[in-house]
Amino acid sequence: MTRTIATDHPFSPDEQAQIARLARLMVPASAVHGVPAADDALILADILHTARSDEVRVRAALEFAGGLGVPLEAAVPRLQGAVEMLPLVVVVMQCYYRDDRVMQALGMEARPPFPQGFEVPQGDWSLLEAVQRRGRIWRDA
Amino acid sequence: MSGGIDYSPADVVIIGAGASGAAAAWNLTETRMRIVCLEQGGWMNPAEYPSTGRDWEARSQSDFAINPNRRQLKSDYPVNDDDCPIKIANFNGVGGGTILYAGHYPRFHPSDFRVASLDGVADDWPIDYATLEPYYAENDRITGVSGLAGDPAYPAKQPLMPPLPLGRSGQKVAQGFDAMGWHWWPSDTAIATTPYNGRDKCINLGFCLHGCAQGAKASTDITYWPEAIRAGVELRTWCRVKEIAVDDDTGMACGVSYYDEQGEEQFQPAHIVIMACNGVGTPRILLNSRSERFPDGLANTSGLVGTHLMLHPYASIYGVFDEELDGYRGPHDALWSQEFYETDVSRGFVRGFTYEFNRGRGPVATALTGAFSGRIPWGEGHHDAYRALFNRICGMVAICEDLPEAHNTVTLDPVLRDAHGIPAPKMTYTLSDNSRAMLDFAVERASEVLQAVGAQDLMVESPLSIGGWHLMGTARMGNDPGNSVVNAWGRAHDVRNLFVVDGSLFVTSAGVNPTRTIQSLALYVTDQMKKRLTNLFDAP
Repeated sequence: MTRTIATDHPFSPDEQAQIARLARLMVPASAVHGVPAADDALILADILHTARSDEVRVRAALEFAGGLGVPLEAAVPRLQGAVEMLPLVVVVMQCYYRDDRVMQALGMEARPPFPQGFEVPQGDWSLLEAVQRRGRIWRDA
Repeated sequence: MSGGIDYSPADVVIIGAGASGAAAAWNLTETRMRIVCLEQGGWMNPAEYPSTGRDWEARSQSDFAINPNRRQLKSDYPVNDDDCPIKIANFNGVGGGTILYAGHYPRFHPSDFRVASLDGVADDWPIDYATLEPYYAENDRITGVSGLAGDPAYPAKQPLMPPLPLGRSGQKVAQGFDAMGWHWWPSDTAIATTPYNGRDKCINLGFCLHGCAQGAKASTDITYWPEAIRAGVELRTWCRVKEIAVDDDTGMACGVSYYDEQGEEQFQPAHIVIMACNGVGTPRILLNSRSERFPDGLANTSGLVGTHLMLHPYASIYGVFDEELDGYRGPHDALWSQEFYETDVSRGFVRGFTYEFNRGRGPVATALTGAFSGRIPWGEGHHDAYRALFNRICGMVAICEDLPEAHNTVTLDPVLRDAHGIPAPKMTYTLSDNSRAMLDFAVERASEVLQAVGAQDLMVESPLSIGGWHLMGTARMGNDPGNSVVNAWGRAHDVRNLFVVDGSLFVTSAGVNPTRTIQSLALYVTDQMKKRLTNLFDAP
């Protein structure tokens, strides 16, 4: 999935560096939560690979971010709410929140849902008693 | 016979292998007629469904997106929904929309068939709940329905399996409805909670909207189709229908032109044609089937094909809670509320809606929800803000009855075409004042429910822009040929060997998911055909 030949990549080295900077600005590392930043090597490789499938829109986001005329760090307040950035935000979040370390830090098992599935408790079915006491509410026709 | 395909006349050609086409094919097998079903997509492979991989959430935005314009698979055709505030959602392939539906599986109510008589709006159906009830029961048996008997919002019905678990999220929302003194009940679902007819039980994968790898959700590729094929139905995949041909002398349909997997145009002669492409696909094909006798499209002398499009406006209302809930685990369908289903004009609108519980969301969806709504910032605050949302969101959607209006339409786009050059459909739709009032009311009441059990932060979208799942009303049934496209048993008024069995038939939309009623209608229509085999083509 991440074995990309660098010379075959649709994004130039400068664009890849810009993606990495933006990813880190979105999601920095946290020692408190024990998670890497989104420009961590493994996550970034996933981001760069995934971004290929939405190349045009991701490049437009990069051009928007780069065209604000200020360093990216200073542009964050404008970038984080900008609709132009959504394609890149989507890619970064998709890749960050499927990283093993991030999932485990959230208390998740680092695996897909199938085939193990998940446990969901039954819940308190006695809550239905109040509804049953009210009786029928549908109309005859 | 050509290339292994038998192009001799079929007794019946069904167009579409989704919810309704599968039910229709299965129900006609006992006639021993030669039945061919043409499906523009292929068979699904559950081993490749998103929930089998680590990128399961990402694929909901790509090859398993609910919007065909986003998905753009070989099986898809484009739909111009620029003039529609509610964007189309569908799926093309064996199983159709049941591949991507949630499995929320309510029936209509008796009052849903008598809208004009009871509430003075729209039209009554030419059939009633009692007519459809045995077909609901038969469809339930094939599908496998989970739930709990005794719902005070419905006439008696008997689910075949126990309900899905409430979980922490369902319990929270149920407590909210109890606090308000309002109705709620475990949902009827097309999800097996025990092993059922060769399918295994639900294991709470939680990604039902993008295919069920477990096979617990009843998509028709694993319910009706295996039985229909064993009984002799020929299901021909990757066949995109171009038009239905008509014998201009008799005015009867005589076959179907389609493009096969190699892109070659083929013609399948047929004595009977059944449309099962739902509320956009069916009018598209009918309108594309122009002839000397039907210059405005097949079965369209009334001018009603494609009109009265109904979509079910949705509102989504979620709360953020302090405690951990179910999050990404488990199907959404645990409970519904029909407290506001039946008309009470003091609310400011006619008809009503169903609340459908929504359990939670996955880690990526949580991040995107937070990022797009401004709740999760970039930078240092990201992680704390994320954790305030993760596994702490649950709520509901309101599915509102959409009244039929002639100006809401499916027409042919003058420019847009699919990969085979066939004119694509265009949806034109305006949200009515009644729907807006209903949506506003639904948002206010749902907010009260969630706040009653501690939701501090509410997330609301109304109408839900992505929510065009339910495509109905564009070849409506009725007794009056001037006010309907097909008669009370699904036969086109204009073409006596053309039938419709999908959501296009709907006279009104009710305030519930339509699939159970669509499939029951398909059984009803095909039963009517079986009962009339000796005089099926007679004039009314």
